[in-house]
Amino acid sequence: MRIKSIRFCLIACSAIGFLGTTPAVAATQGSLGATSTGSITITVSVPSRVQITGLNDVAFTNVDPSVNATNAQSNCVWSNTATKGYTVTATGDGTAGAFTLKSGALTPIAYSVQWNQSTGQSTGTALASGTASTTFNSTATTPTCATAPATSSSLIVSISSAQLLTMASLTSYTGTLTLLVSPA
Amino acid sequence: MIARPAGIAATVALLATAAPAAAQTVRLTKLSDVAFGSLSSTATATRSQNVCAYATNASGAYSVRASGSGTGGALTLAAGGATMAYEVQWAGTPNQTTGTALPANTTVGGFNDGNVLELCNLITTSSASLIVILRSAALAGATAGSYSGTLTLILGAQ
Repeated sequence: MRIKSIRFCLIACSAIGFLGTTPAVAATQGSLGATSTGSITITVSVPSRVQITGLNDVAFTNVDPSVNATNAQSNCVWSNTATKGYTVTATGDGTAGAFTLKSGALTPIAYSVQWNQSTGQSTGTALASGTASTTFNSTATTPTCATAPATSSSLIVSISSAQLLTMASLTSYTGTLTLLVSPA
Repeated sequence: MIARPAGIAATVALLATAAPAAAQTVRLTKLSDVAFGSLSSTATATRSQNVCAYATNASGAYSVRASGSGTGGALTLAAGGATMAYEVQWAGTPNQTTGTALPANTTVGGFNDGNVLELCNLITTSSASLIVILRSAALAGATAGSYSGTLTLILGAQ
């Protein structure tokens, strides 16, 4: 022990004059002692994030045109903002993003979209094409709702009777609905 | 020379005093703050740095104890009311990206200083690696914000 200490002292004393050290700016360096304590600061920034999952295609099959047709599905929206807030912007693939279904050259039919921040709902807040919704709040605790609750929100798609009555029978109409979720 | 009368025994008192053992000391230097920056990805993020751990005992052995600024010394970062857990590892050689886990408030021994100078300022400029890890699970569920915390490391001689 003693030999080691002496050797180190000799080398250190002869070298320290021209080498020196460059201490970190904010970290605290330890001093020589029975114990030596140092500390550092750790920082990280986490940006706002959202994720929508659990969406399913909607199929209206052989619907009765005399009544409105509605399809409601539960999905998962996770937001990491402090309030777990988010907005939804829905866009169809019709002209200028209109919510329409089409079949070749036939006149497209319109549908409507609603959103509810709770799961298992059949009604909600109407969404206008291309316009961000008011702020909703998620109950999802993890992305993709990997842990309970399994779903957090509801998407409701409807076709009014008036639109159904304009459709050609035995003809398939299709369209794509895009949902953009943003942190809020 | 003192003449002693014949027939009287001479007595000599022997007293031996052991020299006090040299204090075993340690020193931890070359620590740097860790800034992960903005992590948009939820992949596990690791930052490692070379530090100088020095022990005066013959073997160079030392222990490390890590404490965070979380409740009870927990290794957590805070942003307002939100917290994020992190992990700390230590390797007894520099330039490592993995090491021995340092649970909060637990002394972990078995490291060696590799015969460095007290300040690692000649030839060998560091003797150990400090690794800070933010796991994917912690990042994925983290509330948005700027997190910070203090990690305190205590070196002890072994």
